[in-house]
Amino acid sequence: MSEPKKMAKKTDAAIEAFKTQRVRWVMGISQTGLKIEEEKYRATADGIVKDEIERQMIIGAIKERGPLTISELSEATGIAPDKILRHMIALRKLGAVSEAGEKEHQYLYTVL
Amino acid sequence: MGEDEFEPVIVAFCCNWCAYAGADLAGTSRFEYPTNVRIIRVMCSGRIDPTFVLSAFRWGADGVLIAGCHPGDCHYVKGNYMMERRFNFLKEVLSHLGIEPARLRLEWISAGEGGKFAALIRDVTRDVKDLGPSPLKKV
Repeated sequence: MSEPKKMAKKTDAAIEAFKTQRVRWVMGISQTGLKIEEEKYRATADGIVKDEIERQMIIGAIKERGPLTISELSEATGIAPDKILRHMIALRKLGAVSEAGEKEHQYLYTVL
Repeated sequence: MGEDEFEPVIVAFCCNWCAYAGADLAGTSRFEYPTNVRIIRVMCSGRIDPTFVLSAFRWGADGVLIAGCHPGDCHYVKGNYMMERRFNFLKEVLSHLGIEPARLRLEWISAGEGGKFAALIRDVTRDVKDLGPSPLKKV
């Protein structure tokens, strides 16, 4: 995939990420009444936004190509397999994905 | 000017009460500024959802300008502060996406600053021209 195309995919994922409740909640808190240090808050919030972009990339890849394994998802998104696994655990807990069979001793994941 | 010289497309989100009125004043005062800018009026800079900015880049804008009321002057009290906070996030996200953060600008323009608005558009156009076309333009 060409570099601009990859960027476009990531931008699409970012647009979806900014529509999610988790990111909107973080962005919507007013500055007044904030109890944690600004710098710490920014770092945490940046992490959440970046995580959410990656999750939306994973969901986007499954929607596009059907059920995928962790290695396939890593290949499709360019995200490290261990990070994908962490996202899958979170997404499974949120009820966004589930296992749909096996392939080469790995679980296949589908979106719900 | 060469025929194939790069002419950037800049999307400017202007708040109704200050920046848009400033743009209007620039027009009625006959201040000249480049035609590269496409102005979108919003009721408040706080109304500008991050998805608006990202979508503008996604669909080929070379630069995005957000113009709101000066701090303390927001018609809705704190919309511009909310935007400022989002703006800092957006800059981070843009660099994460591989888009130069300098393509996104946030400025405060009051209803009386027509000259400042025209100068700002000239400035933004020049800066974005220097950066070259957005990589997402080719997609």
